[in-house]
Amino acid sequence: QEKEITGTVTESASGMPIPGANVTVKYTANGVATDFDGKYSITASPTDTLVISYIGFTTQEFLVGNKTTFNVALAENAQALSEVIVVGYGTQKREDITGAVGLVKSEAFDERPNTDLGSLVQGQAAGVKVIKSSGKPSAGFNIRVRGTSSITGSSDPLYVIDGVPTTDTRSLNPSDIESISILKDASSAAIYGAGGANGVVLITTKKGSSEKPVFQFSSYVGVSSVWKTLDVLNAEQYRDLMTEMGKTTDWSQYTNNTDWQNEIFQDAISQNYQLSVSGKQNGTQYYISGGYVNQEGAVRSAEMEKYNFKTNLSKEVTDWLKIGTNINYTVYGDVDVTDNAAVNQGGVLLGVLATPPNIGIYNENGTFTSNPFQDWENPYSSTDGSDRGYKNQRLLGNVYTEFRFVKDLKFKSNFGIDYNADRYDYFLDPFRTSYGRATNGIGRYNTNINNYFIWDNTLSYKKQFGDHKIEALAGTVYQKYRWEYSSIERRNFASAEITTPGAGSEIITANAGKSEAANASILARLVYDYKNKYLLTANFRRDGSSKFGPNKKWGNFPSVSVGWRISNESFLENVEELTELKLRAGYGAVGNDNIATYAYLARVGSGGNYPIGGTAQPGTYPATIANYDLQWESSNQLNVGLDLRLFDSKISFSVDGYVKTNDNLLLDAPLPTGTGFSSAIQNVGRVQNKGLEFQLNTTTLQKGDFTWETSANISFNRNEVQDLVGQELYDGNVAGRGEVSLIREGEALGTFYGYVWGGVDPQTGDVYYIDQNGESTFNPTADDRTIIGNANPDFTYSLGNTLSYKNFGLNIFLQGSQGNDIFNATRVNMEGMIDSKNQFTSVLDRWQNPGDVTDIPRVLEGDIRNSLASDRYVEDGSYLRFKAVTLSYNLPKTFLEKVKLTTFKLYVTGENLITITDYSGFDPEVNAFGGSNTVQGVDFGTYPQTRNIIFGMNLTF
Amino acid sequence: EDELDLYPISQEVADNAYSTGTQIEAALTGVYESFQSSQYYAWDFVMAEDIRSDNYYAGGDNPEIFAYDRVDLSPTNSRVNALWASVYNAISKANLVLEKTPEVTENITEERKDQILGEAYFLRAYHYFVLVKNFGDVPLYINFVSSADPADTRLPRSSKEEVYAQIVSDLNNALTRLPDTYGSDASVNKARATKGAANALLAKVYAQMPTPDYTAVLAHANAVINSPAGYSLLSNYDELFDGNHYNNAESIIEIQYLGGNEGNWGPQMHLPPSVSGDNWRKFTTPSHDLVDAFDSEGDNIRKNATILFENVSWVDEYWGNATNSSVPFAYKWRNAGSWASSDDIYLLRLADIILMKAEAQNELGQTADAATTVNLVRNRAGLANLNSDATASQSAMRMAILKERRLELAQEGHRWSDLVRFGMAQEVMNSVDDIDLSTGQSVNYAVDEHDLLMPIPQAEINRNPNLEQNPGY
Repeated sequence: QEKEITGTVTESASGMPIPGANVTVKYTANGVATDFDGKYSITASPTDTLVISYIGFTTQEFLVGNKTTFNVALAENAQALSEVIVVGYGTQKREDITGAVGLVKSEAFDERPNTDLGSLVQGQAAGVKVIKSSGKPSAGFNIRVRGTSSITGSSDPLYVIDGVPTTDTRSLNPSDIESISILKDASSAAIYGAGGANGVVLITTKKGSSEKPVFQFSSYVGVSSVWKTLDVLNAEQYRDLMTEMGKTTDWSQYTNNTDWQNEIFQDAISQNYQLSVSGKQNGTQYYISGGYVNQEGAVRSAEMEKYNFKTNLSKEVTDWLKIGTNINYTVYGDVDVTDNAAVNQGGVLLGVLATPPNIGIYNENGTFTSNPFQDWENPYSSTDGSDRGYKNQRLLGNVYTEFRFVKDLKFKSNFGIDYNADRYDYFLDPFRTSYGRATNGIGRYNTNINNYFIWDNTLSYKKQFGDHKIEALAGTVYQKYRWEYSSIERRNFASAEITTPGAGSEIITANAGKSEAANASILARLVYDYKNKYLLTANFRRDGSSKFGPNKKWGNFPSVSVGWRISNESFLENVEELTELKLRAGYGAVGNDNIATYAYLARVGSGGNYPIGGTAQPGTYPATIANYDLQWESSNQLNVGLDLRLFDSKISFSVDGYVKTNDNLLLDAPLPTGTGFSSAIQNVGRVQNKGLEFQLNTTTLQKGDFTWETSANISFNRNEVQDLVGQELYDGNVAGRGEVSLIREGEALGTFYGYVWGGVDPQTGDVYYIDQNGESTFNPTADDRTIIGNANPDFTYSLGNTLSYKNFGLNIFLQGSQGNDIFNATRVNMEGMIDSKNQFTSVLDRWQNPGDVTDIPRVLEGDIRNSLASDRYVEDGSYLRFKAVTLSYNLPKTFLEKVKLTTFKLYVTGENLITITDYSGFDPEVNAFGGSNTVQGVDFGTYPQTRNIIFGMNLTF
Repeated sequence: EDELDLYPISQEVADNAYSTGTQIEAALTGVYESFQSSQYYAWDFVMAEDIRSDNYYAGGDNPEIFAYDRVDLSPTNSRVNALWASVYNAISKANLVLEKTPEVTENITEERKDQILGEAYFLRAYHYFVLVKNFGDVPLYINFVSSADPADTRLPRSSKEEVYAQIVSDLNNALTRLPDTYGSDASVNKARATKGAANALLAKVYAQMPTPDYTAVLAHANAVINSPAGYSLLSNYDELFDGNHYNNAESIIEIQYLGGNEGNWGPQMHLPPSVSGDNWRKFTTPSHDLVDAFDSEGDNIRKNATILFENVSWVDEYWGNATNSSVPFAYKWRNAGSWASSDDIYLLRLADIILMKAEAQNELGQTADAATTVNLVRNRAGLANLNSDATASQSAMRMAILKERRLELAQEGHRWSDLVRFGMAQEVMNSVDDIDLSTGQSVNYAVDEHDLLMPIPQAEINRNPNLEQNPGY
């Protein structure tokens, strides 16, 4: 006899009703869905079994028996399979994702130095390359998702922090981060349309999750140091070299033997303190944190310091209204040191190497000493001769509200801001430094104020009809940027007492300006799921940007991706070992508008002033050429992937292949300078990246108290410039030897260009080169230059092993790059023997007499012909690095209970402990040109990555 | 939609940047400003004309400048590229003024419009003269380029005859439009192009062109000398350079500096420690050959105004291979001004034009008149009239004029062009006997025909495939 059964389905954690849950009678077609309040009503007989299910929750079954009410609390499915991943404008269960999304969870960097996000993400996701071009504490990082795709536009991904897009990641506090999703392919990034061409990095910060308030305190202290020193000539050897160059001086004045590397490199202390409290009560979620980080540089005077404060709040006001806010306030400061510059330009690293040991640090009168032959001051004048300070105060956050109009239909409005005020103070000592004495001191004060807001409104709909599940999203976005800057410079100071510009008498610079940009967009997404087997995601975004011409302001960015969860097909249902097998494919278009604002207009600059009649008259100059057809750089990407999970997810494996083609590049194409312009921004050219990514995670061994988990990934990317309208571009002017990077159709971005070194003529000691006809010449012409290397690796990889036994944990994370070349321009400077710079000890093998057979030429003052940019300076930059090794210990529960703590973990982490490389410089992970698209892998006295060791603790109560 | 129509806040847009008189004046000021912002006019003209010649050594520590000194320029030398690019940038600004001025109607008189055009024509001619002297055939951009279309941007080289024809045409256009003076304020009259400046430049151009027209040289030089603007030689040569007498009666046009943010960084590069306040090895070191030239004439007034000797802490491979040697310094700018000197730079001055007149007279067979003309300049410098050896023949007179120009105009950016014009560059350079004390070897400049022109910058050839390199590079 059938009867009516009623009940409510709720979420077990929150007690909130679950609308749309499925209630079915097992083995029948009889089924209903719960209503908006989670209530249902269904008829069944006492021998029937009720099945209550909802996506993402563990299914429950009950024998009906004689009961007529079943109130069911469903628990969220804890399995990784159902992991919720933040995607653009929403979340998706991992199993439903059809695009290529990399995920980094906070556990991956809990025990790492908290200084910047880049080094924490490095190696964690396949296809995501983190470029740390300098080891300075103040250095930022660049991320390349699936290769470099633009030439003069930016190739950096879009960063979105809790829904607020940003480009500045330096002030982010890693310890506030819950998870990072990296949207790699066009189909997952397309919802960001014009911002998505280089991938999107979605950063989600922590929220409260437990009824009981959780206090967390974490701290570390550490030390970082340069892990390698280079051999330079000692005082006597330097004197011999100078004498051979024909330089004489009164050597009795220069009797020191200073080890400049020892003087300038230091064991730098870092410290970090973070405190947070979080919880979830009566529909209120909160997370409040404060922290402080200080990092000294391994190079004297470099420093970084950060204070941060964060509040994340949300409240379920009624069952149809939710409001929330995320607020992040940061004070970030750093002291920079000049690298990537020769000693005569104040470069500290090349100063350390090229300053002869024969001099001390200070003269008797307190001024800095100089090279005996030219007034190149010792590196202390760069580190100590000026006060330099950058400080940034930043407020980043949003407020949002969600309305549930009717069941299944939700409206969300989000307003976010990023307000940034920074200033740079500089004061050059008027007495101690040579330039300071010439100018009587320099004081500078530069400020920038950046204002950004975003307002997005989205409507989302989620419904299940039997086997069909639909999620739809539509919305609008408006974004506005405003930049303001001012700069002041005065010279001629009476003393070093007052360091602000007002104390100087001579105005050199007094400047201010403003600019704006705006974007407007509409977006839509449809996710369709049939029987949990066939998945489809379609995105569309239409974007308008103020940067483009009236003819081409708007661009359309569609994408579609499909997934087939093969493991849910009946023919695989009985394969117990198989947890999941899913095939994914997607294609889509995204855009790039990352160029200067007002780019399409013929702008006229001011400040071209000139004195006529004894006073400066205002002058203007044509600054740019108009291009009313300027439009979006478009990126089209095909992605095919496979996810495989075996043995209850003990083994999970993903492979993705992609072809990403960027067309209509926003190329600041060089013009003949005869036109009066050096370049004009145009939509020309095509760059393609294609590659393969493999990711493997395993629970390698689990036995009793012992667990061993492994994660590995390897990425292959091939970059090719396919079209450059027949032009060739050159970039990367370094060490006074011209450009070393070539951009040519058919070659990769990051191709090295230069002369081919033949050898040293035993008769003359001069270098002969191989010309374009394969013949040797002492005087090669510009046309004899050719491709001499490639900075792109064949592949990059990482391997992480986490071992835990009882309360101990050991994490060993290796990361490497294989097959990339480095142009070691430091050696051009340090083996060139053209002037009075100190040199590497390799020049002890220099040619000195006819008949000497060596690969180091003779000394040749003032002439670069024996040290032209050639393949002699191209080195293999492959490396394998013990990126992080952590040993941790959790204090035992029995002890913790006594002191009323929940967890208490102590750990020690070493970063860059061992680096295996053939590269001869300080460090292989450098680039003198930072995150440049075109010039990669150049080392020119670049601040190296350091070895860091920290001792830390995390405790919660 | 309207929210996306944003226009620059701190910049103008070409469509509305040239509608009023004050705006076109600002555009014209921008053309003059190239004299300050172009590295060529700030300093590199000394490298191109004086260091490349027998007047000065490079000094300093820059291999690219050493290459000028050795007369061994490579197409990839970035200073050559900077010369090309910055001078063409100035030309582009002049082209813009020539194009926009006729359309201006607000707040401007027809007379002033004419003057503005005249000034722009003069400036364009001045810059093309620099280019044609250094590179020979060069592309003639005479319209403002407002599109990136290769048809507009990739012009081939025009022959030097065509370039000179354009220069002469521009200067004649300037001559009809420019006033003798803009009133009584010398700091305006010496800043802006005038009829006198156009005549002076024409005199130099007619002499330098492949087929010189000495009658025209003479006529235009006389037009300057007899100008209502009242140009005259200063009685005290040193006052030209002492920093207290700029915009003087001898000046025809000069680059204006005020110091501070309108300052000239060049002087700091070569003034001695006692003046510059810093102790690094300076650039632009006077040569033995130059010092000997002054001494052989007993020309102390001009020598002392041009060169200052000082004992220095560094070693110099030509003057003293031991510390505390006495080394000469380029001294025609006197105030380092903490990298922001108020010292002006003469673009054209009367003594130069008087010597151009003498040159024309001599070439036209009026050798005795030429001597009289040269003596004006000599007497001002406290020297006696030319002796009979010098005046004995046209060819002897020619050499006397060349030497007089050297002594009068050293460090002012004339020597290399003079040597080329007189057909003496190879002979003079290859007979210089400089000993490099660090090696004990004689320096062989080995100047040949190809060295008379600079290479077309490789960077420009890369951007403009229609350009052909000069022979020998």
